[in-house]
Amino acid sequence: MPDLSPLCALGARTPRRVTHGALTLTETPECGLASLALRRGTPPPALDLPGPGRWQAADGLTLIWTGPGQWLVELPGAAETDVAATLAGKVPGASITEQTDGWVLFEITSSAGAAPIEHFLERAANIDLARFAPGSATRSPIEHLGTYVLRRAEDRLGIWGMRSAAESLWHALDGIAARMVGRG
Amino acid sequence: MKRLSGGLIDRSQTIHFTFNGKRYQGHPGDTLASALLANCVQLVGRSFKYHRPRGIVSAGSEEPNALVTLREGARAEPNTRATMAELYDGLVARSQNHVGPLNFDLLAVNDLLSPFFAAGFYYKTFMWPRAFWEKLYEPAIRRAAGLGELSELPDPDAYDRGYLHADLLVVGAGPAGLAAALAAGRAGAKVLLADEDFRLGGRLLAESDQLDGAPAQDWVAAVKAELESLPNVRILTRTVIFGVYDHGVYGAVERVSDHLPTPGGAVRQTLWRIVAKRAVLAAGATERHIPFADNDRPGIMLAGAMRAYANRWATAPGTGAPVAIFTNNDDGHRTALDLMAKGIPVAAVIDARRGVERHGEYRLLPQADVIGTQGRLGLHSLTVRTARGSDTLQVGALGVAGGWNPNVHLASHHRGRPVWDERNLAFVPGQGGPGGLFPAGACAGKGSTAEALADGLRAATEALAELGLTTPALPLPRAEARYDNTAPIWHVPGKRRAWVDFQNDVTVKDIVLAHKENMRPVEHLKRWTTLGMATDQGKTANVTALAVMAELTGKTIPQTGTTIFRPPYTGVSLGVLGGGDTGTHFRPRRLTPTHHWAKANGATFVEVGPWMRAQYFVRPGETHWRQSVDREVLSVRADVGLCDVTTLGKVDVQGADATLFLDRLYANAMASLKVGMVRYGLMLREDGTAYDDGTCARLAEDHYVVTTTTANAGPVYRNMEFARQCLWPELDVQLISTTDAWAQIAVAGPKSRELLSRLVDGFDLSNEAFPFMACAPLTICNGLRARLFRISFSGELAYELAVPARYGHALMARLMEAGADLGATPYGTEALGVLRIEKGHAAGAELNGQTTGQMIGLGKMVSSKKDAIGNIMSRREGLAAEKRLLVGLQPVNAADTVVPGSHLFTQGAPRDLAHDQGWITSAAYSPHVGSSIGLAFLEDGANRMGEVITAANPLQGSEVAVRVVPSHFVDPEGGRLRA
Amino acid sequence: MLIPHPLLGLRDAQEFTYLGDARLIDRPTGGNEAELAEYVYLRDNPAGVHRELWFHEQGDRSWLVVTRNTLTHEILGAELARDVSLARKGDMA
Repeated sequence: MPDLSPLCALGARTPRRVTHGALTLTETPECGLASLALRRGTPPPALDLPGPGRWQAADGLTLIWTGPGQWLVELPGAAETDVAATLAGKVPGASITEQTDGWVLFEITSSAGAAPIEHFLERAANIDLARFAPGSATRSPIEHLGTYVLRRAEDRLGIWGMRSAAESLWHALDGIAARMVGRG
Repeated sequence: MKRLSGGLIDRSQTIHFTFNGKRYQGHPGDTLASALLANCVQLVGRSFKYHRPRGIVSAGSEEPNALVTLREGARAEPNTRATMAELYDGLVARSQNHVGPLNFDLLAVNDLLSPFFAAGFYYKTFMWPRAFWEKLYEPAIRRAAGLGELSELPDPDAYDRGYLHADLLVVGAGPAGLAAALAAGRAGAKVLLADEDFRLGGRLLAESDQLDGAPAQDWVAAVKAELESLPNVRILTRTVIFGVYDHGVYGAVERVSDHLPTPGGAVRQTLWRIVAKRAVLAAGATERHIPFADNDRPGIMLAGAMRAYANRWATAPGTGAPVAIFTNNDDGHRTALDLMAKGIPVAAVIDARRGVERHGEYRLLPQADVIGTQGRLGLHSLTVRTARGSDTLQVGALGVAGGWNPNVHLASHHRGRPVWDERNLAFVPGQGGPGGLFPAGACAGKGSTAEALADGLRAATEALAELGLTTPALPLPRAEARYDNTAPIWHVPGKRRAWVDFQNDVTVKDIVLAHKENMRPVEHLKRWTTLGMATDQGKTANVTALAVMAELTGKTIPQTGTTIFRPPYTGVSLGVLGGGDTGTHFRPRRLTPTHHWAKANGATFVEVGPWMRAQYFVRPGETHWRQSVDREVLSVRADVGLCDVTTLGKVDVQGADATLFLDRLYANAMASLKVGMVRYGLMLREDGTAYDDGTCARLAEDHYVVTTTTANAGPVYRNMEFARQCLWPELDVQLISTTDAWAQIAVAGPKSRELLSRLVDGFDLSNEAFPFMACAPLTICNGLRARLFRISFSGELAYELAVPARYGHALMARLMEAGADLGATPYGTEALGVLRIEKGHAAGAELNGQTTGQMIGLGKMVSSKKDAIGNIMSRREGLAAEKRLLVGLQPVNAADTVVPGSHLFTQGAPRDLAHDQGWITSAAYSPHVGSSIGLAFLEDGANRMGEVITAANPLQGSEVAVRVVPSHFVDPEGGRLRA
Repeated sequence: MLIPHPLLGLRDAQEFTYLGDARLIDRPTGGNEAELAEYVYLRDNPAGVHRELWFHEQGDRSWLVVTRNTLTHEILGAELARDVSLARKGDMA
């Protein structure tokens, strides 16, 4: 056990959380993240790899398509571990990097079904909601910040943003949710 | 209040509002304009140039005169059209553009001086003496000109931004738009219906005609109910579609809470970016007037607006005196009929056409013109000229009907040119405008209600067919199908001024003057007279103006053409364009992993692009930044300093061909780099210019980490991907940025090894085991994975230690704690800069896009044995002939300051380009040298050591004598690096 | 503008960074300075159909070759630059 204490991306020891109306935003520091890129000669992985615009759950992981031959892989609960080594075990011969602390994960959940999520997305990102059903994942700028947006379910989103811009991204998302309930 | 019967106002509630300090009453459903008219207020403003008294002219967003300042304090909004301001309880408004009270404007003297203020006056008058222009004339003209005033207080309101996607966008909810939206909604398309009004219905709200024998409101209400029930239809009222952009992208502003006393937590406005596969433009038409002598008095308005006020708002202008109509078409007569139906006496319909008949029981003066009006603060009479002579009519108001102009604006964005419709005497949308946009109804020249309904259905059907959707049959109500029979009577010629553009005070005389001055093409006419350039963009004036110009030139109207239409259709506030965030949050910030630690330890920050970096750390007692920076610099070279260098770009490079790839990317040899070693890397642009430097660390056979400067992290990554995907796609290489993932701290100084040995888990840091330029993965602090690089920017024994970013803060605290007895000191970007200048390291100021490897002394590094990017071009004649090389400079007088940007000359040489021998790129005070020092590019610098030259700073009028010295001010042998 | 990304469908041009003429893919490899100079400095700059390079910086980081009419902004197609480059190298092999 290292004798250094980690901080969450928003700068505190514990993750931030806020509720505005039906939406709750939660900083989620415990999710590990790694990048996966197939090399020429990587044997086809045992994992189900999603195609463009999609994410896919497999073997306790969530894989997100990020580019031709490239994915980001969520390893829930594994943020403190060597995720690159773990993934290398599952996909030998691929190019893998640890990405956990390159990013911050904000989960957005609705207590009133899909409508608040769609209302939120309408204001956050230029995404065609008619083509963003659960299972969809896309890179998108939110207030000029690059993010990955995952439609985990009708009433749940995951948003990954650059860790260094965590405060700016939180401010943007928090502001959108607050303005939805007249706390502008 | 004087109200007529009927109207779409809620008489059960009374609203109080204030105009120019006086209290009045109105009802929900009123606009400020309709309520003012109901309260017999005619005078609402003063004109732009001549300060003439003005009244309400229209009932819509085309309003040129009734511009008021709405609200007070920080929310005061100037130039608000009273016709678009929904009335609410407690509304406060003031008129604009007058000195003294509205009815006694001291600046009305401008009207008497009008010959000096004709179009283009500032090109001809107020020219002499020259000095007076800048100091007297221009400020005075500016103060007198202009309309409203800004509050200049911070905007307290919130704004939103959003994105909508649709199959069909319908712009306008009049008969054409409602028919289109209903058809498309029933077809199952995803429909967005937008209207700038607060109610659906468009022109149907203003007319007395029935649909299917029942009030038009019944049909509108039924359509509205059905549209609201369809899940695939979304209605946006109070929403202006202000512009058409490429590929079906539209800009819109929704006025979410402008109509409420305060937003009360809601946003004020939302900026919508709409992507629509197809769109129906059902934007309606705007009436034009007929210029005649003194046609701008309060009480003179557009005839169509006059009947809108009567029908929709149950009010009429004037104080009960009879009303007259001046028209060149049949539509003007309808206003007379509607007014009479509401009990308002009509003095006469003055019809400029010959051979016309009346449509009802009113006095008709055929083949007649209005040639004069009386009543400065409110019309009280007018002069008519008929075939038999002239006559005076006592009237309280005059409605002017000059014909209708289809609102072709959106269809004419993208340089679309409207075409002339001779039958209707109007411009209609032509070919060549934005793709996927289908004009329908009055804006397409199909202005009768029956035509508009049918045309809206037709447009929606065609648009949906292109998307593979079938529109079901839609029965349309029976409606009027009148033809206006407009005659080409564009103005009444005469000696006195006749206004064309009310808002910018442009008259027919000004157009005649423009013609005389040869400003005849419409784009010149517009800019020389300023016609059509005000906030109303000439909506009621443009066509009339070019008709007048056509008469003068003898060309036809289509030959004369229109000016180019550009967004926005109506004004868009900067607040809504700026969006949700202002102030510090307007631009995103990137914070380093040790940001909060640094803040708690006295750091002052500097912006480096989006990053906040610690610039220097202030200790108690330090009052000047030099104290802090000098102390940090000395500490690094004497003990050990700690600096967060996370912001430098890091790119992870892997793959079977990673080595080959990097060797082609860097100017210097990289293929020979061994596993466990780091090498300095220079990158060139393809034209041979140096553009970035950094390091390349080989962690494994096929695994590297490339670092870049902070500023170039993005561009270098982009160029690497370009090389990977476009130049050498056959190579097996994978790239990904890891800049944020690893917190990276520089540990620099003679005690750095000692300090690190207290953190690493049993890792051999000896010089033999881990020499200069080594790298390795390791663990620290009892098992935390980390990476160590022995590289130095300062020239001292130094390392960079990387850990997962969430541990950066704790690592910095631990290093400080563990190094307390060693004098561990945090240092910022200032000290970082001083140290590297002392060492003669090139950085951004030297790699400014104009310099080569040769100039910074790395010419031998640029390999001639490989075709890496830029290497071949770096040897071209022009660059090889470059004589300027990097040197150090020290002031001859130790108290002098070396100023970066200074240019270098031999002493006594003329200070001109021909004798310019180079420039100073970087400078700083060096506590080790005891004076200011600098780095510079100097012609033949290597052979001029010891020479005294002059650093000239003509911008600030100073010169400093400097001595040329080697650029390595500290430890030139490099012994400390390799200790 | 909307760019028809071959894998992701229509994406807003704001997500991209523009570079220029797609001929930049054809980097001369013979080591000839004159050829390289032409590659670096000369462009056709047509008023009409143009093949050009766009980088999907805020998207999947793919380089695309987009065929666009520089007068009307009509976009006639878009391909992965990697595919275009490989095809060219295959042609020249």
